[in-house]
Amino acid sequence: MPRMTEQTTTPMSRRSLLKTGALAAVAAPFAGSLLTACSTKSSDSGPANKTVTVTSYGGSYNDQLTKTILTPFQKKTGIRPTLLANTSLAALKTQVQSGDVQWDLVELTAPEYVQAVSEGLLEKFDYNIISDTGLPSYAKADYGIKYLSFLFVMAWDQTHIPDAQAPTNWAQFFDQSRYATKRSVYGQLSDSSILEAARLAEGIPFDRIYPLDVDAALRYLAQHPGRDKLIYHTANQEPIQQLTSGEVALSTSFNNRINAARKDGAKLNFSSSNGVLAGDYFVVPKGARNKEAAFRLMDFMSNDADAGADFDQTTNLTLANTAALAKLPAAVADSLPTSPKLAGSILVRDDAWWAKNLKATEQTFKLWQAAS
Amino acid sequence: MPLATAVPAPAAGATTRRRTLRFRKGWLLLLAPCALFDAVFFLTPLGRLVASSLHDQAYQRVLQDPLVIRSLVNTLEISALSTLATIVLGYLLAVVIWRRGPLMRVILFALVLLPFWTGVLVKNFAWAVLLQDNGMVNSALQGLGITDHPLALLHNRFAVVVGMVHYLLPYAVFPIFAALAAIDNRLELAARSLGAGELSVFRRVILPLTAPGVSAAGLLVFIISTGFFITPVVLGGPGDMMIANQIGFYALQLTDFAGASALALLLTAMVSVLVAVYQRILRAGGAHEVG
Repeated sequence: MPRMTEQTTTPMSRRSLLKTGALAAVAAPFAGSLLTACSTKSSDSGPANKTVTVTSYGGSYNDQLTKTILTPFQKKTGIRPTLLANTSLAALKTQVQSGDVQWDLVELTAPEYVQAVSEGLLEKFDYNIISDTGLPSYAKADYGIKYLSFLFVMAWDQTHIPDAQAPTNWAQFFDQSRYATKRSVYGQLSDSSILEAARLAEGIPFDRIYPLDVDAALRYLAQHPGRDKLIYHTANQEPIQQLTSGEVALSTSFNNRINAARKDGAKLNFSSSNGVLAGDYFVVPKGARNKEAAFRLMDFMSNDADAGADFDQTTNLTLANTAALAKLPAAVADSLPTSPKLAGSILVRDDAWWAKNLKATEQTFKLWQAAS
Repeated sequence: MPLATAVPAPAAGATTRRRTLRFRKGWLLLLAPCALFDAVFFLTPLGRLVASSLHDQAYQRVLQDPLVIRSLVNTLEISALSTLATIVLGYLLAVVIWRRGPLMRVILFALVLLPFWTGVLVKNFAWAVLLQDNGMVNSALQGLGITDHPLALLHNRFAVVVGMVHYLLPYAVFPIFAALAAIDNRLELAARSLGAGELSVFRRVILPLTAPGVSAAGLLVFIISTGFFITPVVLGGPGDMMIANQIGFYALQLTDFAGASALALLLTAMVSVLVAVYQRILRAGGAHEVG
């Protein structure tokens, strides 16, 4: 590009300018690849592993992650983290395939992790840099760490539904005669468990939910509460807005989102009982510039007891960091998604089933939504 | 049409011909920056899109997806409906602006431009707040006793069309106003002096003279309509998914880039065919008018 400006500043006859223009037009189809080549090269400049670019889902969660993990990590190591809010497998795949990898540590849902591994998009985790002493057995994987556990829950607006009348199971949640309101549910299935909730509402016990009968779940939802009583959200912060604005009185959400909204003064509540336990991975895209810095961040996240305890306490989510759990007050420890006290009353999401069936189920679900 | 004006009259002398020739070269030169820009930022990505769509039997797959057929039909229906509503409202608005004095014109134009400068997301969320069950519109209707229960105004096709028309209105007002402003005042006076009433003047003078402006606006508005993404997400229900949403679903949720590319090219092809047909109909209509 700079070369072109040089050319136009030199005096030149109209004819030769025209020639240059024609030449440029002919060469243009190749300019795209030239641009890509330049940007790949420029990203190599500057010292590597002094910074680390992390992507997550944004909103209140990103603020909490910055305060509890990233800032203490920078203080300890001098590595400067940048946190983005737009994590997506599609973007990771584009970056790896184009060879222009901008992200170093990327949050993926469990089924996305399996897909990314099978498509060869990830760097192998180096457990020489990451100490695995603090990692629970469920968290350690070859190409990532299932660093986070959260609960998919039913949430309500306390101004319309007082806690005493709130649903305690999914059959009540979907019962239109009990609550004459619309319900907001997550429109995608990668980390939400609306279909499991429908099966639980039918009375299927936790241990017989998988393999998931998708058609039966959708048949149930068509009756309870009925398609016209469901609206769909696409981002995690949306149900908070829908609940507080009074658009709906019931919604599915995640335990940390409702907790964060409550801390901001929103009159919302949720029930952990009958929630669905799921988790997210942090992965490193193949060809990431600051791979080592990303691994060092993972090491810090999995082993620093103070930062981990602060994270658990602030978010009410479980970080895969055993040392942190020991530091928590009993009340906080009992409220975490992975607390043994909850174990009997929640469903554990079957990542293997979802990894195999996610795409087909997403399409079935979308088609069902559109058929109304 | 531009060609016809550039061709020198047969009776013109040698000097005129040379000047025209030189002018023709200048023409090309003036086109060069645009052609270069298009080549780099349009043709190159388009070429990549074509290349990417040729994998994994993408066309076969997407055309067998019932959701794709559904969203293609939705796109045509919603775009046609929005275009019609936008043109009718835009015409009325343009006539009102045209009939006012200079000061009022400035004020009215500012009112048209204000939403034009506001982001589409802001406008859409504002409509979501207005149209929801306990929103201002429903509260007002219930307060006035027009209905006793909230009407379903949000998350349906009605809301999508409202949101789109709000966005599209300036694109119709400006071409139609330009057509109106170009009308010679004396034509209207002549028509009146020949005994034409208000309605006749409009039907036989104003409307035919603004027809090119209306059809240009219609084309522009329709093409913009077919590419809407965020409005069906914010204001529509799951049954109002348009083709851009389907492309997003393939690219982002299914990470099926070949399928998404094929869909994008299908949309381009569909719109190109429609535009060609539309222009042919217009040309035929125009020829008829002249004859």
